[in-house]
Amino acid sequence: MEALLEAAVRLAAPLLLAALGELIVERAGVVNIGVEGTMLTGAFVGFAAAVASDSAGLGVAAAAFAGCAVGALFAFFAIARGTDQIVVGMAVNLLAVGATGLAARALYAGATPSGPTLSSAALPFASDLPFVGPALFAHTPFVYAAFGLALVVGFALARTRAGLRLRAVGEVARAADAEGVSVARVRVSAIVLGSGLAGIAGAALSLAQSDTFTEGMTAGRGFIALAVVIFGRWSSSGVVLAALFFGLANALQFRAQAQGFDIPYPLFLMFPYVVTLTVLAFVAAHARAPADLGTPYHRER
Amino acid sequence: MNRRDERLIDVARALFAIGLALAAVALALALLGFAPGPALSALARGSLGSSAALTATVLKSTPLLLTGLGVALCFRCGVWNIGAEGQLLVGALCATAVATRFLTDAPAGVLLPAVVAAGALGGFAVGAIAGALRASRGVSEVISTILLNFVAIQLVALAVHGPLQEAAGAYPKSDPFPAAALLPAIGRWHLGIAIAALLAVATEGLLFRTAVGFRMRAVGLAPRAARFAGISPERIALFTLGLGGALAGLAGAFEVAGVTGQLYEGISPGHGYTAIAVALLAKLHPLAVIPSALFFGALEAGAGAMQREAGVPASVTQIVQGIAILVSATFAVAAGRRRGGMAAGAAADAVEETA
Amino acid sequence: MHSAAVSAVRLRGITKAFTRNVPVLRSVDFEIAAGEIHSLLGENGAGKSTLMNVLVGLVRPDAGTLVVAGEPVEFAAFGPARAARCGIGMVHQHSALVPAMTVVENFAFGDPDGALLFRPARSRSAVQALAERFDFEVPLDRRVEDLSVGERQRAEILRVLGRGARVLILDEPTSVLTPGEILRLFESLRRLREAGCSVVFISHKLGEVEEIADRVTILRRGRVAGVLDIAEADARTLGRKMLGRDFAPLERAGRPSVAAASEPPLLQLHGLSAPGATEASRLRGLELAVGAGEIVGVAGIDGNGQRELEEVLAGVRAPSAGGLRIRGEAVAPGARSLRAAGLAHLSGDRETSGLIAGFSLAENLILKGSYDDRRFFRRGCLDLAAARAAARDVAARYDVTPGDPDADIAVLSGGNAQKLTVARELDGDPEVLVAVNPVRGLDVGAARFVHERLIERRAAGAAILLISTELDEVTALSDRIVALVRGAFVPIPAGADRAEIGAILLGEARA
Repeated sequence: MEALLEAAVRLAAPLLLAALGELIVERAGVVNIGVEGTMLTGAFVGFAAAVASDSAGLGVAAAAFAGCAVGALFAFFAIARGTDQIVVGMAVNLLAVGATGLAARALYAGATPSGPTLSSAALPFASDLPFVGPALFAHTPFVYAAFGLALVVGFALARTRAGLRLRAVGEVARAADAEGVSVARVRVSAIVLGSGLAGIAGAALSLAQSDTFTEGMTAGRGFIALAVVIFGRWSSSGVVLAALFFGLANALQFRAQAQGFDIPYPLFLMFPYVVTLTVLAFVAAHARAPADLGTPYHRER
Repeated sequence: MNRRDERLIDVARALFAIGLALAAVALALALLGFAPGPALSALARGSLGSSAALTATVLKSTPLLLTGLGVALCFRCGVWNIGAEGQLLVGALCATAVATRFLTDAPAGVLLPAVVAAGALGGFAVGAIAGALRASRGVSEVISTILLNFVAIQLVALAVHGPLQEAAGAYPKSDPFPAAALLPAIGRWHLGIAIAALLAVATEGLLFRTAVGFRMRAVGLAPRAARFAGISPERIALFTLGLGGALAGLAGAFEVAGVTGQLYEGISPGHGYTAIAVALLAKLHPLAVIPSALFFGALEAGAGAMQREAGVPASVTQIVQGIAILVSATFAVAAGRRRGGMAAGAAADAVEETA
Repeated sequence: MHSAAVSAVRLRGITKAFTRNVPVLRSVDFEIAAGEIHSLLGENGAGKSTLMNVLVGLVRPDAGTLVVAGEPVEFAAFGPARAARCGIGMVHQHSALVPAMTVVENFAFGDPDGALLFRPARSRSAVQALAERFDFEVPLDRRVEDLSVGERQRAEILRVLGRGARVLILDEPTSVLTPGEILRLFESLRRLREAGCSVVFISHKLGEVEEIADRVTILRRGRVAGVLDIAEADARTLGRKMLGRDFAPLERAGRPSVAAASEPPLLQLHGLSAPGATEASRLRGLELAVGAGEIVGVAGIDGNGQRELEEVLAGVRAPSAGGLRIRGEAVAPGARSLRAAGLAHLSGDRETSGLIAGFSLAENLILKGSYDDRRFFRRGCLDLAAARAAARDVAARYDVTPGDPDADIAVLSGGNAQKLTVARELDGDPEVLVAVNPVRGLDVGAARFVHERLIERRAAGAAILLISTELDEVTALSDRIVALVRGAFVPIPAGADRAEIGAILLGEARA
């Protein structure tokens, strides 16, 4: 049980980071399905920078920066040029797969090394608590960062001017514009910031969950993060719970595999996706999305 | 500006998108220390340089043509079908099940049509799931089709590790198809190629010459206006997703029955995602999907040669796809804005001098 | 009397065209004095909203100058934020509040002096102080979506004042209010004038303008048709300047010999109820019969169920109880069955009119027949050649320009597009016609064309239900009028004058 909880929290962290990023973007009224590619870019750049500098910390910073850069690309096309958000997101995903694959071959010629990782740091005192201590307070910094950021994002959305402006833009862009809030500026900032989080989420895969980069290593986690935001009903606390749910589903799958149940492994791998679909079928219909989600804003000039 | 001029401009824009994408890739290769010259010439040789290369191009183009048609149909109706990959895989899976398990001993006249139909039905079912979730539960098809892709990948893995695994049991792949289940072929040019080309023509006809196609286009342009004209956007979306799925499923059936002769994991190198680039570069025009699919097919065929001869990884194809999508979709937006929507007409009306 | 006062805002030579060669504003001059209530009067589409959007920085003009409190302002650097700093604020016709946020949050999100943090308690007391200063009663802690229309409007005006506005623009503020709320609004506006603020009051209701305004500027088709002190203007003068010239009243053909009363009415609503977007717009047990050769007008203010009634009659909203009968036969809900039963639907609203931008004239002409019109759709196939021939014919007969059957409908002006819908809906000589705001957004000539077609159909014995938010249109065309108020029909007695009808529409009086 304790190990299961530990695994659930650990596996939820990258999903949570990416989903928080997407939450920021969607609350501003933008759907970025390029979060998968952004994560992958973060995973690669983070790993490459960590190997080059022999510092996992620098790797994380580089991953965040790379995520922001991918976000800026998305924002340029989706906001500045007005190209369809879904189409740009798909293009970002393809570009990321191609570019990271190409760059990985160019750098490592097919023999990717192991890189430095961020090791687990048990929190003093807290980790000594019975049962929950080791499960909750003996994790890599990514885990603490993910759950800490959930608090920050929740607070920022409810209690900062920037958060209010972001929500106004996502709900009724026209109203925000009439109040002197620049819709494009808010959306671009949200995309860049949210993509930075997706980049860090990628680094959590290549610098903590494993110690290397493999092509396509995000394996759809970015898409699951999209579902987490819907499942979490566009609130930061909901997103935490939804991410934990998927983390638990994933942990159960690993557990069942390790226990050698006589169930073919693809069934386990399929499990999170089927769960997500089922959950969406029951949640989506009455979930409350930002009113202007996915709607481009053009002021008549 | 008449329609022929507009077509020419469309073609010019598509060529520009391709040129820009290739130039960007050449630049990226140079920056990463590969020699772009030899890489691009290997790309050209591998796709067009010999009859074997041409054959490879056409074979790679066929699934792209079918999935591209499915995606183009859906996008035309305002349905964001990102799930051609999963629909193709389930189509291949169903075709394989029929060929190697259910009707193995049937004569070719029965087996082959059954294999092809099973493929189309499998793809249809996957598309229809997404369509039904959207129509009845309001689930965005963007998310559901993406998730179904991952389910389909694991379904194929499950099948080739389990019920459909070869009799020898050594590798995770299916038994080879019986001869009666293989598509007739001249050399490596199988019958599916011709069918795919015919289906492009048929899809064009469906969209522009039939009542259903008329309704599909109406829903894609203005769902609410279509509703007032008695057309149900939900039913059209369901129908279109099913049809797009069937086309992708057919692509899967043709792959196993015409090219590989068996099913294994990774049978599709992402055809269903490339299909999005194929459809967008063709401006969602079914007939234009043919040259668009040939281009991306040539790219994939050439990329193999490029990897072998110049050591440049084949993942550059995805970069070209991504850039082509961005450039052609951005052109479409700019063109649409110049044309103006109904709003332009409404503004015109405010001070019209007819009184 | 006020023209001598200091000018708060002066616009000169404002010209704007959204699409090439189709100016919405042509060299418009507009001046507001400090401490006056200035009415901007004009028909729908005269350019009032566009002019005001220029003044608040939402629309950048192609030419013209702006002077605020004596200081010239460059349009190049003029946007909503800058306009707010200049003390210009506007309350739009469509609410600019975010429904999912509370009133206090709505005040805070655009606050230019905002600190980094949003402190709900502090913001709340600031808003409360503001409300007390201007004597506005606004609930602060509820979400905007839960407020009444009047409360929303007060919140919006207060927010604009709180931003330091000295020039307050109100775009048709009374159209959604009850008479009681209108009185309250006028009191508030007068208090603001006492405090030295200027108010621009956009309206096309002469009575209100006469009651509240000090001065009036009249716009007609993008040009200034006159600037008058209200003391020297009477309703006739204003009306003539607004409309341009006097039109002869529509001539209704004599009443056709109506069939024996024992026959069932052509169109009948019986006990019709349907869910609504808001509580006020839910349809409640509507009963109505429209006979052959009769136009029945449904008057009312937007938001009282007009949209819902149209959707039910067009077959896109299912009734929750009751239904429609045509020639005495119940018709299943649904656009196709209604059409098959002989009901045509003519709408002046772009969305519901069934016109599709991106489709050609020919395709739009045949749009509604995709299931049953054998002229264009046979055995599942589309006969585009027949559609184009029909479109060419219609374009010639109804004078639609451009008449190219392959031209995208989006290039047509609203008037020409509406001619195409009229042709589509009326060419089959429908026995039952539902016309909803059929001339919305049209200029006078095009509107007249549409009205004449309706009268022709009436003479030919059709039953016509006319739903319109323009009272003048309803009274001019209808044989009988009912009011749709809060989703229910209220009969209007024959011979009621405008004031009485107005009171009924606003839900104040029950006839």
